[in-house]
Amino acid sequence: MGFFDKLFKKKEEKKEAAPAEKPKAEPASTSASFKAEPAPAPAKTEAPKAAPKAEGGNPDPYAFIVPPVASPGDADVPKDAILPAADLGPLLPGAPAGGKIKLAVYWTAACGGCDVSLLDTHERILTIGDMADIVMWPVAADGKEKDIAAMEDGEITVSLINGAIRNSENEHMAKLLRQKSKIVVAYGTCAMFGGSPALANLVPGGAQEILDYVYTKTPSSANFQAEYHKDAPVIPQTSYQAPEGELTIPTLYDTVKTLDQVIDVDYSIPGCPPLPESISQLLKAVEDFVYNGVPLPPKGTEIGITTKTLCEECPRKKENARITEIKEPHEVDVKPDICLMDQGILCLGPATMGGCGARCTRAGQPCRGCYGPSPDVQEQGASMFTAVASLFPVLDEDPTCGEDEIIKIMSTIKDPLGYFYAYTLGKSLIRRAVKEGGQ
Amino acid sequence: MADFEPRIVTFCCNWCSYAGADGAGVARLQMPTNFRIIRTMCSARVDPEFVLRAFAKGADGVMVLGCHPADCHYIGGNYRARRRIALLRMVLEQYGFDPKRLKLEWVSASEGEKFQKTIVEFVDTIKELGPTPLVKEAN
Repeated sequence: MGFFDKLFKKKEEKKEAAPAEKPKAEPASTSASFKAEPAPAPAKTEAPKAAPKAEGGNPDPYAFIVPPVASPGDADVPKDAILPAADLGPLLPGAPAGGKIKLAVYWTAACGGCDVSLLDTHERILTIGDMADIVMWPVAADGKEKDIAAMEDGEITVSLINGAIRNSENEHMAKLLRQKSKIVVAYGTCAMFGGSPALANLVPGGAQEILDYVYTKTPSSANFQAEYHKDAPVIPQTSYQAPEGELTIPTLYDTVKTLDQVIDVDYSIPGCPPLPESISQLLKAVEDFVYNGVPLPPKGTEIGITTKTLCEECPRKKENARITEIKEPHEVDVKPDICLMDQGILCLGPATMGGCGARCTRAGQPCRGCYGPSPDVQEQGASMFTAVASLFPVLDEDPTCGEDEIIKIMSTIKDPLGYFYAYTLGKSLIRRAVKEGGQ
Repeated sequence: MADFEPRIVTFCCNWCSYAGADGAGVARLQMPTNFRIIRTMCSARVDPEFVLRAFAKGADGVMVLGCHPADCHYIGGNYRARRRIALLRMVLEQYGFDPKRLKLEWVSASEGEKFQKTIVEFVDTIKELGPTPLVKEAN
């Protein structure tokens, strides 16, 4: 985190310095002026400058994204509780001296949200083209696997890979991009922890059972199979011999893996999807590296996280209330400033890495844990068991009742595995469903 | 299955169960040797992650032994522990483990015999259940 600590400090200094000197007619766009001028899109007209260095007085076209939740209503949000966006300075000064770098973005088993989230760099995305050739970006650019395969090893400077590793194609592309890239970033929760795709690991029969269910058991496909393929239901095969030649599709894996279980990963950015602030910090690091030769952060750096859990940045007040029943947010009138756990709503804040500014809990929704476990902890869910179990009160009959009674009490938590490991099953210790006596 | 010797991790709290185990040893009570004791200061010190890690590393069963309810050295540790273990058993069941592979029992410092009995019973249970269903997958 050392590198980014410096970044944050720089940003804070700027905050103090900026209102004093308004360098140009452009909005000085600090958090103070944010309210007065809601999100102007400045600086597109500004010509590329020779000096790319981020200095205190420069107009920052990005500052309007700094306070992530500072809508004019919540002035009470402590600004220091939120990781700021990196100070990206003025627009990029044209192509770097050594020529444009190559940038690749790829999705494996993902919903596509991470791919789209790169657009959260706002108008900066337009000038990323000055710095880099985007050789692959499924949602926006037309790079093909064969183009990547034709490249030299290490020709791509940065690859952002989002999504879990679900099938042979995912794994192939991850390995290919690793081979061709200097830096690989695990981008988003699925790549880091498996995310929702990894919940498929809980199907005991693995890929076969999933395929079978999807193609023969779901109502629509069951009807189709019954009508057209009564005797032999059609399930996709990994290869098919057509008259024109062999057709293949990727093999579905039994166990969904995280990116770092398949390839070596240099940096990671958690989030579902990663926040604009995190992306800007990554961009800043790459820009500094490309234009100014500033060394990159140490390998293994997790970008956009704080050192404490989400509760630390959540503005809600903890009253240490005991809970006897778990409620869904829609079942209760959620009090706006009291800890959600105190109100009986399961919130993964105590077990989740901070850095997102507690957006969900500020909006009255419990944290679902997309930032993953805190450092030194592998099991986000296990941390939650500890936290949640301690919220259940000690009862009068506790000294005399048996364990079955306690199970009954704890059964108010429905589906603890699915809830507490919603994002991190791929990285958990057990990782997949097991079958008793199935060896 | 006949020659299956289970590997069992036993967490004993420092104040009751560990002393109970000590008592069982001093009294030279016979019991199977399939268990390894890890001493913790309290049964509530047993983070659920410890238990899951034990299973992930191939333990066939895990036992958590603590002071009797209302007897905890730290007043309420064992109440916390039993709620955590209850949650853990629910989760292990969801994974597909037999929840009997995780046992919580109260053994006080003077109950060497109960310690022996608990161990014997648990080893029998695990022998019946067979080896851990956890397999290191190939793909």
